[in-house]
Amino acid sequence: MSLEVHHISFSYGPIKALDDVSLSLEGGAIGLLGPNGAGKTTLIKILLGFLRPEKGYGQILGYDILSEQKKIRQFIGYMPEDDCFLPGMDAVTFTAFFGELAGMPRQEAMKRAHEVLFYVGLGEARYRLLETYSAGMRQRLKLAQALVHDPKLLFLDEPTSNLDPQGRVEVLELIKDLANGKGIQILLSSHILSDIETVCENVVILNRGKVVAQGKIKELKTMNFRLYEIKIKGEKEKWLEELRPLGCRAEITEDGLIRLYLPSEVDSKEIFVAALKAGIQIRHFKPSQYSLEDFFARAVGVD
Amino acid sequence: MIREHGYSHWNGQFIERRWPWWPITRLNLKLAFRRKYFRPVFALSFLPAFFFIVAIYISERIEDFKFMTRGGRLVLFEVNPNFFKSYLASDFLLFMLILIMVFAGAGLIADDFRFNALPLYFSRPLKKKDYLVGKAAVVAFFVLTLTIFPAIIFILIKMLFAGNFSLLRSYPWLPLSIIGYSLFLTLFFCLYTLFLSCLSRNSRYVSVIVFAVYFFSDFLYAFLYNWFRRPFLSLLSIKFNLQQVASFAFRVKPVQPIPWFWSLLTLGLFCFLAGYFIIRKIKAVEVIR
Repeated sequence: MSLEVHHISFSYGPIKALDDVSLSLEGGAIGLLGPNGAGKTTLIKILLGFLRPEKGYGQILGYDILSEQKKIRQFIGYMPEDDCFLPGMDAVTFTAFFGELAGMPRQEAMKRAHEVLFYVGLGEARYRLLETYSAGMRQRLKLAQALVHDPKLLFLDEPTSNLDPQGRVEVLELIKDLANGKGIQILLSSHILSDIETVCENVVILNRGKVVAQGKIKELKTMNFRLYEIKIKGEKEKWLEELRPLGCRAEITEDGLIRLYLPSEVDSKEIFVAALKAGIQIRHFKPSQYSLEDFFARAVGVD
Repeated sequence: MIREHGYSHWNGQFIERRWPWWPITRLNLKLAFRRKYFRPVFALSFLPAFFFIVAIYISERIEDFKFMTRGGRLVLFEVNPNFFKSYLASDFLLFMLILIMVFAGAGLIADDFRFNALPLYFSRPLKKKDYLVGKAAVVAFFVLTLTIFPAIIFILIKMLFAGNFSLLRSYPWLPLSIIGYSLFLTLFFCLYTLFLSCLSRNSRYVSVIVFAVYFFSDFLYAFLYNWFRRPFLSLLSIKFNLQQVASFAFRVKPVQPIPWFWSLLTLGLFCFLAGYFIIRKIKAVEVIR
């Protein structure tokens, strides 16, 4: 396992930020989701050794999170959300400098800085002063500095914030490329669920300091519920009353479309049986895709 | 597609640096020398050293410079502890050090705050202590270059011109005084500059503060002394305190009739509080927010 923690607990005074969190993740890109105050930041701080958990233990890339933080930080890359750079420098010096701080020899850091800047698409602009960079270029620069020492685990914090749609697509494409077969594990924290769905195979959802769901997005989406889009003629209340005891949940869209969540153990025939009992006609019936947003909302208990 | 090249792995080995802060120092020195007007200011700072070297030369050629003597004695050019004190605690040198701090020191931490660079540093295998040492070493480089380095050169030149070790024979403790006072001056300027650099995110404000605090303290002393005529008021002046400590280090008569350790205590207290504030400020940095 490249990342595993067991029974991690942490409190800020009386407030429990993490409560018996256990995680075990490996390979590809992992999305870290949770509403504000869910404990995402605290978990990452513990993983990177900035906070010491009150209880629990764990390892990242085989290094102990309690005693080998320095080693862990050598093998992780971090791309912060905020715009950050050093004034008066060009991209090559900037990127090489952070490579050196990670422990790379000076010459190799410089050589590698050129390589990663070309990789992120800043090859032509690598000798320009950072002050002259656009928001999109700075975002890519942040990715370059996170990659310069060839990390095994890359932590990306809101990598597409402040980007225009084109810039967003470009950065996501880069991240996707890194996650696929490059041997770099990515931990992506974002509020934009579609970004996570685009890039990540796995997701961890935190809520109130607890892991409420973790696993492959595909499996999570199909694990508990199937989703159908239905249009009916007749009184829908009676029909929904018939379905409720089966554990179904319905959402009605503005254009009158009913999105029906059917528990996996319930046969879809039951929808028609209930329609028959309620005396309504089903005019449209289409299995639909259960989005990450739907799953997230259900996991953290919001509509 | 924005990729110009594919991703390739790095096959090298990480190295364990004895001084992990050195890349920070080297980069900041490089950036300082790239600043507009910094090079002329730095060059100008060596002016007193040049004059003092000339003075050493004159002191060894008394016959050629008789016109400068008073009662057969070269008052200005006698190379003794006071000569070194006059150089190391001269108004001009202290002024130039302040000017160098304005150019090269003000943005050391302020710029990192302003451009959110601290998370980038601390997400590396770097301790906060290493970061501070790296920044302080920049200040130390400039202070030591203008203090210990010329002072040692003075001793060597004096011995070279004199062709003997009479200076060291007469004052064997002189090298220690030079080293001790220079290190004290370095410690003070490191903490003074980094402390003020922590106060604002804007390095221009910090530049003004670095300049203003030094001169305001001197002005306040002069102003109050004019009114009350109390020697202890001189403790308000940074410059005076530094000169008072120098007087002790070089065993010369102090400027004001107050004990030297009061000045040392004043500066020591300032350094302690500044150090405490800097550490608190850097410790409070959230790498992951």
